[in-house]
Amino acid sequence: MHVIQLIINGILLGGIYAVLGVGMTMIFGIVKLTNLAHGEFVILGAYGSTLLAQALGVDPILTLIVTVPCMFLIGMGLQTGLINRVMLKGSEPALLVTFGLSIILQDAMLLLFTADARHAGAAYSSTILKIGGINIALLDIILLVISLVTILILTMFLNKTYMGRSIRATSDDTQAASLMGVSVRKTYAIAMGIALATAAVAGLCIGLKWTFYASSGGSYLLIAFGVVVIGGMGSIPGTLVAGLVFGLAQVIGGANYGLLVSYILLIIMLAVRPQGLFSK
Amino acid sequence: MGDNKTLASAHKPIKVLDGIPMLIVCIIVVAALYILGITGIFSSNLMRYLMNIFLYITLGEMWNLLSGFTGMTSLGNQTFIGLAGFSVAVMTSTYKMSIWVGILVAVVIALVVSLLLSFVLFRMRGMYFAIATWVVAEAICTWFLSWKFVNQGGGMSIRAKPYPRVPEIYLMALTLCVIAMVVVYALLRTKTGLGLTAMRDDADASSSVGVNIFKSKLLVYVIAAIFTALAGAVFFVNKQTIYPSSGFDISWTVSMVFIVIIGGIGTVSGPVVGAIIYVLLSEILAKLPGWSNIILGAIAILVIIFLPDGIMGTLQKKLHFELFSQKRFSAPKKDLKTKAQMQA
Repeated sequence: MHVIQLIINGILLGGIYAVLGVGMTMIFGIVKLTNLAHGEFVILGAYGSTLLAQALGVDPILTLIVTVPCMFLIGMGLQTGLINRVMLKGSEPALLVTFGLSIILQDAMLLLFTADARHAGAAYSSTILKIGGINIALLDIILLVISLVTILILTMFLNKTYMGRSIRATSDDTQAASLMGVSVRKTYAIAMGIALATAAVAGLCIGLKWTFYASSGGSYLLIAFGVVVIGGMGSIPGTLVAGLVFGLAQVIGGANYGLLVSYILLIIMLAVRPQGLFSK
Repeated sequence: MGDNKTLASAHKPIKVLDGIPMLIVCIIVVAALYILGITGIFSSNLMRYLMNIFLYITLGEMWNLLSGFTGMTSLGNQTFIGLAGFSVAVMTSTYKMSIWVGILVAVVIALVVSLLLSFVLFRMRGMYFAIATWVVAEAICTWFLSWKFVNQGGGMSIRAKPYPRVPEIYLMALTLCVIAMVVVYALLRTKTGLGLTAMRDDADASSSVGVNIFKSKLLVYVIAAIFTALAGAVFFVNKQTIYPSSGFDISWTVSMVFIVIIGGIGTVSGPVVGAIIYVLLSEILAKLPGWSNIILGAIAILVIIFLPDGIMGTLQKKLHFELFSQKRFSAPKKDLKTKAQMQA
């Protein structure tokens, strides 16, 4: 029974990790950029949801109506105003710019929101369901559903809409896509917008599940990166599987060594199969 | 339109500042820094600033050697800083040895760890390498936070009787900085050094003309690890206490990146300028608590956009000179011309 409980906990965690990684994998696959500020954007989303829910007295999940469009616009603005410009200079400067962005954001959030621990509470936060001797928190199920729905919507968008197809075309062959009339810069901007919109969702999940600080971005970035690497960059089904693997690693390592086990798993994966499980 | 201008500037001879005159200038500067430190003419406050500058120059030169000259952008050099700080702390407070034994252990650990890591890290290139180095630093930090031997997250202090005073630490930092710069410059002037830049610009092509990529990378990585560790050890001897969160802090990498980007990536003189600016700027920014990383980050981004060669790189291009150049300038252009005419 203990083993089943562990596996279920791992799966439930995996959903959050998958949505953490999905935004980064998009940027990796489409814009060919490592966004080192992704963790900070996730934390920004977490602050947005937590503070809005407190101020308005509504359920934190409802705040997504505001945070998702806001983060989408921030992403588009960031890509158009800054990253598209540096990307002309090569991949290394772009990497360092996102690194600069991450330290700016981290300290800006520290100034704005102080160093206090934050947590988004909801009515169902402490409800526990008992199914056949296994304890499952209602919150975990809700978060898993939110994550899966987000990833499903994203997949449908990429597969069924014109914009989604042009994004995938750009990711496969930038030059051919631009010859077919796809505006690469605009596509990049929308991809970054979508990536940050998923960061808002991930932020909500993190705010509901754990306490977070202004400085928590770095560790979530590394988890997101782990999900991206294990799943194969640019692969959305890959992030689901990788999220699961990461969630299980975390559960197996326990409270003290969970993070260490995940890091070691990631380093081994990087060394043995850097292209990931589901690379194209 | 712009072609004429670039052509004209391309024909303008580049002044290479090296050889005997430059050597004499360097020796005079270094000797002056030593004498002023030993005789006590410098106040201890000034010596503290200079000491920080020397250590940051060392860190910057090593990051530059990795990223600017070899193309191995690392976000995890703090691994060696933290390990070195803890080596000194463990040797002096747990085993009651002298600080020098601690520093020796720090070097040995840096050597062993960098050799071990190279097997894993060198399988990756570009951003994979960059982030893998960071993951390694974070993994070691998480491990130290729950390892009883290093007092978990509670921190350790460095003990010695008598404890080195500021002038002594100043001399340690100065010596380290001079050796680090000489090593980097000398390495870049060798055949291996030329191979490194060739490798950075095109790994496959350089490999096909005989650059041993693994060997060259390993040499650079081990050198960078050892000198970064030495600088870290001296830093923490000055600070006296170390925590996993301060030793393996990503902000070490923030400062290295800042120093190299501002000074000029891929130039030997760049990190010197960058480190001076960084230490002065951090001093000013200390008055604005919370803002320092915001301002440093913004400056770095602006420099990447508008001045991608950094201060020294831009000056060298604009004023047609090269300081500590790794290039070997061959015969003057006149001779080439006459040769070409003869052939015609």
